[in-house]
Amino acid sequence: MNPIRQLGDTTVGRLPAAARWPLFLALVAMLPFLLSGVWIQMLFFVGLFIVLGLGLNVVVGFAGLLDLGYVAFFAAGAYSLGIMTSPGSPFDLNMNFWLVLPLGVLIAASFGVLLGLPVLPLRGDYLAIVTLGFGEIIRLFLVNREDVTAGSQGLSAIARPGIGSFRIETFTHWFYFILVAAVIVGFIASRLRDSRIGRAWEAIREDEDVAAAMGVNKVKYKLMAFAIGASVGGLGGVLYASFIGFINPAAFSLQVSIDVIAVVIIGGMGSTPGVILGSLVLVGFPRILQFKATADFLSKFEWLRDGLNGIIAAADTVVPGSIGRLPAASEWGRELSDDTRFIIFGALLVAIMVLRPEGLVPSRRRQLEFESDDQPVPAGGAA
Amino acid sequence: MPLVDAPHLALSVGFWSDQFVNGLTTGSLYALIALGYTMVYGVLKMINFSHGEVFMLGSFAGYGILTAMGGNDISGVMVAVTILVALIGAMAVSAGTAAVVERIAYRPLRNAPRLAPLISAIGVSIFLQYLVLDQTDARAKFYPDIFPRGDFAAGPFDITYIQTFLIASSLAMMVFLYVIIQRTRMGRAIRAVAENPANASLMGVDVNRTIVMVFVLGAAMAGVAGVLHGLFFQTIRGSMGFLPGIKAFTAAVLGGIGSIPGAVAGGYALGFAETVGRELLNELPGVDLGNQWRDVIAFSLLVTILVFRPTGIFAERATSRA
Repeated sequence: MNPIRQLGDTTVGRLPAAARWPLFLALVAMLPFLLSGVWIQMLFFVGLFIVLGLGLNVVVGFAGLLDLGYVAFFAAGAYSLGIMTSPGSPFDLNMNFWLVLPLGVLIAASFGVLLGLPVLPLRGDYLAIVTLGFGEIIRLFLVNREDVTAGSQGLSAIARPGIGSFRIETFTHWFYFILVAAVIVGFIASRLRDSRIGRAWEAIREDEDVAAAMGVNKVKYKLMAFAIGASVGGLGGVLYASFIGFINPAAFSLQVSIDVIAVVIIGGMGSTPGVILGSLVLVGFPRILQFKATADFLSKFEWLRDGLNGIIAAADTVVPGSIGRLPAASEWGRELSDDTRFIIFGALLVAIMVLRPEGLVPSRRRQLEFESDDQPVPAGGAA
Repeated sequence: MPLVDAPHLALSVGFWSDQFVNGLTTGSLYALIALGYTMVYGVLKMINFSHGEVFMLGSFAGYGILTAMGGNDISGVMVAVTILVALIGAMAVSAGTAAVVERIAYRPLRNAPRLAPLISAIGVSIFLQYLVLDQTDARAKFYPDIFPRGDFAAGPFDITYIQTFLIASSLAMMVFLYVIIQRTRMGRAIRAVAENPANASLMGVDVNRTIVMVFVLGAAMAGVAGVLHGLFFQTIRGSMGFLPGIKAFTAAVLGGIGSIPGAVAGGYALGFAETVGRELLNELPGVDLGNQWRDVIAFSLLVTILVFRPTGIFAERATSRA
């Protein structure tokens, strides 16, 4: 036992396990009373990526199938809602949000099975590259089949949900809506993990052949993982499209897949707290960097920029003009959150794999697995 | 131009021979890149996801050298010299990148669980791609337009100078690689490690050094492909590694991953499938595949091959299943 884990066990362990989540959720539910505007919008996106992360976690974390095309299911959900509710849709259906929500989830799930069927015999890296291709094909489809998706022009005025005369419109409404969705998905995911199905996934993840030999139906459980992961991706897509109100193919690039995969892996594969922390750090923080308040705050550091640029200018005398200068301090946040974000994600993925492969907040079982080398996992070590 | 009775036939002969030359051109690039995938897979049994980015960096290195040496003002015999320098520089940059990546991101994970090196490789790929996108403000760069224009006819084929150069230098690189692998001491070490790293190590082969050499050789091929891609298509950008990377991987799988002749055969097969194959499909009634569906053809081919024949169509011996 390493000392850090013991420490964790004693401090967090004082709170009865059953009380931790309700307490945490109660605190989260109070956030709209403390924060406003852009902060709540930021938290909506954090919530959205928690939902997506929980879904991908089923595929990657539980079943060990590395899916790099998760954006495909997100797009399937978003476009289901867009096509069926947008007045600009080529089909002009104008359906109700609540009717499309289950449909979108179902359509995404069938995409999951559609992807799952051909890749069933594949493992590890081959699976990763095929799913990558699948995500790309979906995007090509969105751009090129204008008769179905309205092409790069996009779909606007997508339906928003309402209950009776109450419309879900403000950031705060959406915050609670995504919170409820995340809690439902999280609850289902954790129940699945601890069920017979979860154990079957785990067996497949550890060794497919042994699992099959022990009577685990590989085909059934792999497809189930794909379908469940995909339906959650679809749910995320429906919610996103409704929140944003406008979608076009540019929003469904590989970057979404990278975001979600980074959330799951950096947070800790198979771990729900990991997904939450991952979303806060990888999705929430870059958005905070874009706030005007952040820019105002950073503008106080103009002196630091002058100093650093002085050093750069000194270094630049070797080959004059070869090194660029830092932009205005108030721009730093935006600079960092743009493409730079992905540079950091990439480096983080490598660093996490090399230094802490179980992720920031590891699931108990995964941690044992990574620490144990080839020694047997101690009996009763499962969370 | 020979006089032909049926003009539409003459047109279609020209059309098909053009498609053939196009297939040969893209196929050469795919083959060069595929070599890197297949060699790394041969020794480490892993897909080097960052290989597409190594190709991209080679292309940018070539661009940097050509621009620094005068860009569009280069003329006369200097064109040949600068292109040679650009090719060598790109090989060096790509090879250096691959060696560093291997040391930092792959070597520590050689005995880690299956997914770890894969995720690390994806991390490297994202890192390198966005590093370049950030440095170039995500804008395209244009290779200096210095290669002599013009074409010549060889039988029914009409080949431009640049296409000839691209195909010839790709083939030269492949022969070069073949000689290294088959005729040198280092090549023998590489083959030994691919066969069985533990045994090779017992025979006195420095396995770590050999693995670095595999990365370096594969990357050098990709670097050359990067410059040739730049000279031929002229436009390069930070995201350019993704599609050729994934397609070259398809080519490697097509030829049986781990096999060097297979990668070359797979590269050309994919090149033809995308050009000649797509046009043949378009001959079918009711089919109209525009240029943008090329990528879909490649991906569909990849999935089909992986599902029905994961050892590749040209595989000499059965390797372990995907």
